[in-house]
Amino acid sequence: MKKMLSILLLLFLTACDLRVLNPASDYARTLTDLIYLSFGLMMLVFIVVMVLFVQFIRKFKETPDRSDFIPGDEKENKWLEITWTVLPFIILAVLAVPTVKATYELTSTIGQGTSQANEEAMVVEVVGQQYNWVFTYENGKESADELVVPVDREVHFRLTSKDVIHSFWVPKLAGKIDVIPGKTTRLQFTPRKIGTFQGKCAEFCGAEHTLMRFETQVVSEGEFQQWLNDIEEEGG
Amino acid sequence: MNVPFIGEVPSDIVVSWIFVSLIGVLLLWWLTKKEQWPTIWEYARTTDNRKIGTMYILFAFLFFIRGGMDAMFIRSQLAVPESEFWVFQSQKYNEVFTTHGTVMIFFVAMPLLIGLMNIAVPLQLGANDLAFPYLNAISFWLFVSGAVIFNMAFFFNAAPNAGWTAYAPLSSDTFTTGPNNNYYIFGLQISGMGTILTAINMIVTIIRLRAPGMKLTRMPLFPWATLVTSFLIIIAFPVLTVALLLLTFDRLYGTSFFLGELGSPIYYQHLFWIFGHPEVYILILPAFGIFSDIISTFSRKRIYGYRSMVIAIALIGLLGFMVWAHHMFTVGLGALANSVFAITTMLIAVPTGIKVFNWLFTMRKGVVRIKTPMLFSLGFIPTFVLGGVTGVMLAVAAADYQYHDSYFVVAHFHYTMIGGTILGAFAGIYYYYPKMTGKVLDETLGRWHFWLFIIGFHLTFMPQHFAGLNGMPRRVYTYSWDDGLFLLNFVSTIGAFVMGASMLFVVWNLYKTHRYGEKVGKDPWDGRTLEWSVDSPAPEHPFDPVPQVNSRDAFWYAKISEESLPAAENPRPSPIPVQTIQPVVLAGILGVMSIGFIYQWVWMQVIGGVGVLSFFILRSLTDERKKAYRKEEES
Repeated sequence: MKKMLSILLLLFLTACDLRVLNPASDYARTLTDLIYLSFGLMMLVFIVVMVLFVQFIRKFKETPDRSDFIPGDEKENKWLEITWTVLPFIILAVLAVPTVKATYELTSTIGQGTSQANEEAMVVEVVGQQYNWVFTYENGKESADELVVPVDREVHFRLTSKDVIHSFWVPKLAGKIDVIPGKTTRLQFTPRKIGTFQGKCAEFCGAEHTLMRFETQVVSEGEFQQWLNDIEEEGG
Repeated sequence: MNVPFIGEVPSDIVVSWIFVSLIGVLLLWWLTKKEQWPTIWEYARTTDNRKIGTMYILFAFLFFIRGGMDAMFIRSQLAVPESEFWVFQSQKYNEVFTTHGTVMIFFVAMPLLIGLMNIAVPLQLGANDLAFPYLNAISFWLFVSGAVIFNMAFFFNAAPNAGWTAYAPLSSDTFTTGPNNNYYIFGLQISGMGTILTAINMIVTIIRLRAPGMKLTRMPLFPWATLVTSFLIIIAFPVLTVALLLLTFDRLYGTSFFLGELGSPIYYQHLFWIFGHPEVYILILPAFGIFSDIISTFSRKRIYGYRSMVIAIALIGLLGFMVWAHHMFTVGLGALANSVFAITTMLIAVPTGIKVFNWLFTMRKGVVRIKTPMLFSLGFIPTFVLGGVTGVMLAVAAADYQYHDSYFVVAHFHYTMIGGTILGAFAGIYYYYPKMTGKVLDETLGRWHFWLFIIGFHLTFMPQHFAGLNGMPRRVYTYSWDDGLFLLNFVSTIGAFVMGASMLFVVWNLYKTHRYGEKVGKDPWDGRTLEWSVDSPAPEHPFDPVPQVNSRDAFWYAKISEESLPAAENPRPSPIPVQTIQPVVLAGILGVMSIGFIYQWVWMQVIGGVGVLSFFILRSLTDERKKAYRKEEES
């Protein structure tokens, strides 16, 4: 048990630089907070169970003088039973409220036109195919396996697939959204940090699923405009 | 679609052919030398629940080795970044994780539990066999047939490669040509039929064949779990059958249920998870039942909160049908659907929590004897609770957008499936081994097995949570140095090999026990329920006379007041055992027909189809129990 806990602790310390827990957008920040909240609540439950577990084993383990002892039947304690039925409900309610709130904030439905976004928002069309990504910008610029977005501006993605189901994932910027043939799914977020982030296909999509990665660069507005208008270089 | 040439076969397949042929020859030689053929013939024709149960476990153990070796290959390939271990990259790697998942779920976890049900449930009820012994043999041989079909694929260089979920459209013939995924479909269809028949058998047995006086509320918890599980199977497995049938039509006959203008790949996901989520409760509930009985026996106390335990099992079963879309949070079903499924998923934590506290309070004030079966049960509690709490974390729909299809999920379901089902099956095997063979497995080696397994387990899967949070998706065959995943994966690989090593102790234990172990009596664990009142191993007609049951744990109370259980006056007539080779024949013909469909050889389909049909007609006209009826009339 001790060994397990020490591993847990060690791994927890390395958690400081895990991508999902180091968000670079408002969207990802919301998710990180939710993850910490649920983790905290659940550790509470785990610790309670472990304390009882260790305590009961230590106290009631068979010893030579008790080896013939036959414990009498005990009646169930109503209050104990009510406690461990009601308390979990309360914990889950504490968790459910922010869950539903965040889910409503961040989820868009297949095919629904939610483009009532503000004027500044930028739209990127994403096409997934075995085994690469093509991003098309509003001015017609196409880019393969390289997503460039400006910092502090909302980006809307409209995603679809040419073949099988893929899933679009930039761990530091947003959660996944599936990319489905014949349908259009949506995702939006506002990057808050300049940098280069990994993007991956998260839904198993065939032989080279592993290699279906892309790079996401969050750059300043000026750099972005320069990149966007530099059509020749990318072979637009 | 033809059987490929030997020249283009990857080396792992060649090695496997050689290895398996050698083992096969050795086995045949050994069987002949030891004159074991009559035993094999007897087991092939048996309808006895103990023998069938033992065979289920034996076959599951074989497939466990296969699935375990797949796991070793996976971990070897992932041990270091950008590695190229043997042949396991790209499509080969995809084949390995697909077979690992499918084999472990359908051909290891399911038969281990069904095997234990076969052995223990009738005995715990005071029944002399399952309600339909012949049907039980059919179930078993269908499972074998399905498993053989599935496992054959690899040897013909056509292992399924679309993941154990086989999501369309990847699994359709547009994107995965060749017979590979046909093997998956037909392997599961045939064994699934067997599973459904088992469920019917279990329900009827539990409803009809309990010993007089054993009301439902006096049943031990393993039969209760079996009852609920069987209802889940009857509802969930036909949905899988439908999903796979539609997929078959898409693959073989050009329909477009899951593709194109008219179809949608999302339908497949719905169907699969309407089956798939109840399936995980099908796998966990029987384990809960086993743990309940073991913890009660080894605490020398009645199970705490019997009534709430039963209600919890039923509630988990019910809620299990209302949560399937939590596997599809990232599909884009919308905020409302995602919220509803998030909340129903969280609710499952409540009955599960009740069960955990009841187990803990069963130990309180008891005398906790830590023998191997109890050791596994104790290992289960913290492990499964960890799997449970990550389950609640995954239920947070928005946060799941991050966890989904990452190694976090992989870690979660291994914590529940290994921490729950596999530990439960191990506990059950150590516990019921005397009822199967008449011997108790060696205690010291059992402890070695437990500690290596549990330490290896946590080493393997604990780091995977963090790998997931660091952005490692599932089902990738490599990662780069920049990903920052090396240490996590390396530890994970070490853990996997420790787990693998623990299984060697099981083999050693089996050998040692059979070579040097001594026969034990009826009741080696000081048990509480009826199975411990009959001989070890359990004979074909164990209860003669059938006992009268007047309370829960009746055997225990009779034992401490030093009386024997009274004989029941009017028990229901016992099922009639028969000796018949028909189940093997049916499973064989269905296997042949399936191969016909897998390779689309129409002549073989026709032969198989005619064979199955004639079998049904012949079967409808015969009744091998007539002899027994006649004997009864004469007397």
